[in-house]
Amino acid sequence: MAEDSIYERLKQQGVTRRDFLKLCGAVAGAIGLSGLPPVQASGLPVTLARSGYKARDQVARVLETKSRLPVIWLEFQDCAGCTEALSRSHSPTLVNLVLNAITVEYHETLSAAAGFQAEGAKHNAMEKYAGQYVLVVEGSIPMALDGAYCTIGGRSALDILKESAAGAAAIIATGNCAAFGGLPKAKPNPTDAKGVWEIVTDKPVVNIPGCPAIPEVFTAVVAHFLVFGALPELDSLNRPKTFYGKTIHDRCLRRPFYEAGKFALSYDDEGAKEGWCLYKLGCKGPTTYNACASLKWDGGLSFPIQAGHPCLGCSEPGFWDGGGFYQGQSAPLSRPDLTVVGAAAAAGAVAGVAVGAANQAQKKAAKKAEKAK
Amino acid sequence: MKSVEAMNTFVQDTGGWVASQLEACTRCGMCAEACHFYQASGVPEYAPVWKMELLRRAYEQKFTLIGKVKVALGVDKAVSDQDLEEWSKYLYYACTVCNKCSMVCPMGIDIGSLIAEVRAGMAAAGVVPDDLMAAVNKQVEEGSPLGVTDDVFESRMEWVADEWEEDLPMDKKGADTLVVFSSIEIMKFPTNIAAIAKILNKAGENWTLSSKAREIVNFGFYEGSHEHTKMFLERVFDGAKELGVKKIVVTECGHAYDAIRWHAHNMMDVPDMEITHIVGLIGEYVDSGRIKLKAGALDNGKTYTFHDACKIQRKGGHINEPRQVMKILAPKSFKEMSPNREEAICCGGGGGVIAIKDADALRYQTFELKVAQVNQVGADTVVMSCSNCRLQYTDCVEHFNLDWKVAGLSQLVADSIMD
Amino acid sequence: MNWTEILAFTRGPLFQVALVIFVAGMLYRLVRVLMLGWQKDKVPAKGSKAVGVVKSFLKGLLIFPFIPWVKRTFTKNPVIYLAGGLFHLSLFVVLILGAAHMLVWKSLLGFGWWTLPLPIVDWMAAVGIVAMVALFINRLFNPVLKLLTGPAEWLNLAFVFLPMVSGYMLTHHLFFRYEVMFSIHMLTVDFLLIWIPLSRISHFMFYFFSRAIHGQEFGKRAVNP
Repeated sequence: MAEDSIYERLKQQGVTRRDFLKLCGAVAGAIGLSGLPPVQASGLPVTLARSGYKARDQVARVLETKSRLPVIWLEFQDCAGCTEALSRSHSPTLVNLVLNAITVEYHETLSAAAGFQAEGAKHNAMEKYAGQYVLVVEGSIPMALDGAYCTIGGRSALDILKESAAGAAAIIATGNCAAFGGLPKAKPNPTDAKGVWEIVTDKPVVNIPGCPAIPEVFTAVVAHFLVFGALPELDSLNRPKTFYGKTIHDRCLRRPFYEAGKFALSYDDEGAKEGWCLYKLGCKGPTTYNACASLKWDGGLSFPIQAGHPCLGCSEPGFWDGGGFYQGQSAPLSRPDLTVVGAAAAAGAVAGVAVGAANQAQKKAAKKAEKAK
Repeated sequence: MKSVEAMNTFVQDTGGWVASQLEACTRCGMCAEACHFYQASGVPEYAPVWKMELLRRAYEQKFTLIGKVKVALGVDKAVSDQDLEEWSKYLYYACTVCNKCSMVCPMGIDIGSLIAEVRAGMAAAGVVPDDLMAAVNKQVEEGSPLGVTDDVFESRMEWVADEWEEDLPMDKKGADTLVVFSSIEIMKFPTNIAAIAKILNKAGENWTLSSKAREIVNFGFYEGSHEHTKMFLERVFDGAKELGVKKIVVTECGHAYDAIRWHAHNMMDVPDMEITHIVGLIGEYVDSGRIKLKAGALDNGKTYTFHDACKIQRKGGHINEPRQVMKILAPKSFKEMSPNREEAICCGGGGGVIAIKDADALRYQTFELKVAQVNQVGADTVVMSCSNCRLQYTDCVEHFNLDWKVAGLSQLVADSIMD
Repeated sequence: MNWTEILAFTRGPLFQVALVIFVAGMLYRLVRVLMLGWQKDKVPAKGSKAVGVVKSFLKGLLIFPFIPWVKRTFTKNPVIYLAGGLFHLSLFVVLILGAAHMLVWKSLLGFGWWTLPLPIVDWMAAVGIVAMVALFINRLFNPVLKLLTGPAEWLNLAFVFLPMVSGYMLTHHLFFRYEVMFSIHMLTVDFLLIWIPLSRISHFMFYFFSRAIHGQEFGKRAVNP
């Protein structure tokens, strides 16, 4: 077989050694390598790992020796937004590198083939790369009616996922839908939508939530897998810590205004024009873990808060049901039903009247007892 | 069972007024900082909030579900006879019902009134200290705790009239004003009677004494018994009604003024007549020019200060009149104590405390606060408008061997009145 | 169950249940007290009750903090007084003038208001916590408070202290992740809301009764309350 290494392929495309090392540096930066990773994770001989190797050199060494990574990309209850974000990414260097470093064996939106041909290609790939390929899932999986809400080629999403997951080396759930159920899972969740990690429990699943997922984050995870053959360190929600370790609020460029108590109160007031904090307009920054505020979008151009819109919290589980988008984050999730509160008040008052009446009777009896003497 | 009687009274008397204040109490303990008995002795049980603890427990146990649950779970115990005996000491030995605690309560709870209510329960249960109860019984039987019977009253008044050559009209029909003295004045400070008579006569007041309403003192009010309080008030009102007066003047007696002026109307039918205190009347006279005082009469190099009585000043409302008088009589030598006016520290002898022999040690200890206060001003003479305070002062001056003079305000006014 | 779900639970259903219990419980206590009956005050007044009530509230809210120093009442134990006052001031600043809490009111009432800059609110919160600790220590050693303090009082302190501390840790991102502290904060707030009608923390409702009564009693005697 002897497939060309990634470096070989890049060389064939006219990438110079200098450019290649630059790219390696970019990858190293993207996956958050400031120095050498733990020895075991690096997969390198102990002697090498201990030496003064730069992270960049280590990436280069991997790309020089490893062949391209096979990827199977499944779409279920999705909008293809994550695919769109990735394929139209404005950070060409990194994303191109990674897209060059992987071979997408199956992708409904991107592949030229369709129907049985495409399905056949997928099966071939699954067989050929069994135990090696990375499974990327976009979109949530409906569980209701035995998965009848989403079928491809007559098979339910659940079925396809289980089959594809069996031979995968790792699974990347990209976007909030695949990670946590996303929009399809919003109340009342008619399809009983679920995220991948709720279904597949015997394989490493990394969640890259967001609506869509930040392309750079996706590529960095792939690059990490490429370089180390393992998924990056994850948090309790299986999100890569490097990108989901801090809240939007922590890195927000409007944070000083929050500290100073300067808030925009509507989208067209003085505060909004001055670029003040959007907290009172319902910004979910304080509870949202994502890299928007540092990586930003469109090649580092901007992100929603910079553009004047509060964070919706799209990388958090259940963000559709996490209270109104434009309601203050500290506020309770919903306003209590006035009839319920009224009923409770009435119940309290009635109990008060009942005990009050008993107390009055007691007082009368006490008076009588004294008069009797 | 004593506790049954006490609980019965608590249940009857606890309305929204009492309950809402008990509910408001946060048990922060600040009231202790105001209580002269606690400050002097450091005994935590003397904290005002602890004195009304029985009332709170009674309220919770009888009227609230949580209280019933607490008793069922054993967190709280039903109020027992032993509790009553114990609290009897706190309530009668270590409380003058001066209500200073209410001034510092952040919630503004009228603690004095609530403690008075606990005393009502004590009275119903019959756990009032013997000395105090003996005085009450004496007043029930003889009409006076100090033995001022009809004969004694008559002879004392005749003697005062002779001795000081003042006209003391007795049972005068058609008089406008009925003046009722306290037995302390009748038996211990007769000069006060002469002084007040002089003031009234100089002012041209159409006044009288009553052989029926001859005693304003109300030991039932100390005891806390509604029944006895009403009985003694009734005697005064009967005398007043019989003479058809328009006004009742209470002389230098604190608790009696509190009872008749601020409580009687809510306890019984009160004849439609004005009720005032002699200090208020003096203020009126001075204002309207019916009596003229020698300005600076007391500016003789000695320092004077005024002791605010809890039930005439803080609870009576006559705070300005004595100062108005003192500023005329001693513009240079009158000095205020601190704290004073409605914030004043109580003498420590009121509320029946001075009548209880066993409470003497504590009473003297408490008076040390007053000693410090007066010494700070450097006063030679302490003026006051309450005979009970005056009794406490004279007793303590002797006990501590102090060189102050103690004077009644009416006396000073009478001495300085111009013809 | 992850922390985001716990947060959604404590901010959502549990908060609503707590609020409903709070409303029902407070109304129950109010009605029960009102039903005990109010005797009409027949005593002829010397001064104005209304003026007394106004003065009483003004004293309670504004002037009161200065009285003890002038009148030398709390010379023996100023801590209890100072800490108590600062604690309530802190509560007011944080709960009413803090942006995060204002948004809670806004979501419940439908309207919002101006808020203080975070550093000021933050300092006041710290002051409140320190005051609370001072009150706690005072309660341990003051003889009167030792007498008055039972399990209920300790629980009161704990139930009030926990939301304060968790709220402070939350805004400072101390030790735990934001949503973990947020969940704990909400959980303790929910417990507090349920505990209030069962305890003396409900004094804020009866405060209006007792202060008004105080004002009436002193006002009718023409004495400054």
